[in-house]
Amino acid sequence: MDYKYIEQLLERYWQCLTSVEEEQILCHFFSQEEVPAHLQRYAPLFACLQQEKKVGLSADFDEKVLARVETEVVHARRNTVRFRLLPLYRAAAVVAIVLGLGFAAQHSFEQNSEEVGVSYNYSDYKDTYSDPQVAYEQVSSALKAMSKGLRDAGLKQLDSTWVKQ
Amino acid sequence: MTTFRDDVLPLKDLLYRLALRITLDAVEAEDIVQETLIRVWNKREEFDRIVSIEAFSVTVCRNLALDWIAKKDSQSQSLDESFNNTPDNAYSPLQSLSLNDKKDWVMKLFNQLPEKLKSVMQLRDIEGKSYKEIASVLGITEDQVKVNLFRARQRVRQNFEKIDSFGL
Repeated sequence: MDYKYIEQLLERYWQCLTSVEEEQILCHFFSQEEVPAHLQRYAPLFACLQQEKKVGLSADFDEKVLARVETEVVHARRNTVRFRLLPLYRAAAVVAIVLGLGFAAQHSFEQNSEEVGVSYNYSDYKDTYSDPQVAYEQVSSALKAMSKGLRDAGLKQLDSTWVKQ
Repeated sequence: MTTFRDDVLPLKDLLYRLALRITLDAVEAEDIVQETLIRVWNKREEFDRIVSIEAFSVTVCRNLALDWIAKKDSQSQSLDESFNNTPDNAYSPLQSLSLNDKKDWVMKLFNQLPEKLKSVMQLRDIEGKSYKEIASVLGITEDQVKVNLFRARQRVRQNFEKIDSFGL
């Protein structure tokens, strides 16, 4: 096999005339198991470069650095959320006050209307009967019923008083 | 919409490799990457004006790594001293070197390069970046990138050939 091309590439590599792609070809060539004897001595150099390309940080590095970055972000976000919700709290407080006042007002109006239902102002009274005779009879019968009730109650009271004595 | 998970976090390995190459300290490199990602994310308001988030992140990461190096150098302990105190007896000249041993040597030679050469070689030979991208990240011209890359590859090659012949 002719290794002229590789030899030329290697010479140009030392002179810094190779492109990135040509340098990759060299690395690939020297990472093979079968490297001719006269080129063998440079294999460790390219093997070392190849090996160094794989060096990296451990997996727990991500967690550490993300923890640092995300704490800063969360801290900033917490502030903005609080600031953003501040007007909302004010609005909620105003709504609560308005509702409270409204409820209190409505409650007191209801009480007023109940008081109006039992009026002691005689001028507000209206006739419930058109015929005065009927009205008189109704009233007198009501009064008779009441006096009868009172008399019965009084007699009973008297009876019980007598029995005791 | 730019998100941390989708646009910034995936850069972590590339940044880590660069920070590790400059600092040669895994724990420190990880901290630098974390700091870089946070700093880049904090600049998200300006993402519209930044041409490439990746290039911006690489620049931030390299600057943090260089700051750390400068801080470390200014401290009393000298790097040369610590190096001399721990002699490397892993290889003797009479031993023949296995492929893995040779790979380690290449790595050592790579890591011993001056920072600028190291960063250029890292971004080119490991991350596969174009000269233009490297130039913008490092704040130098494309020609300077080529010169630095040339020096870096030559140094690694010469030193490696020396060790290789010696070892065998």
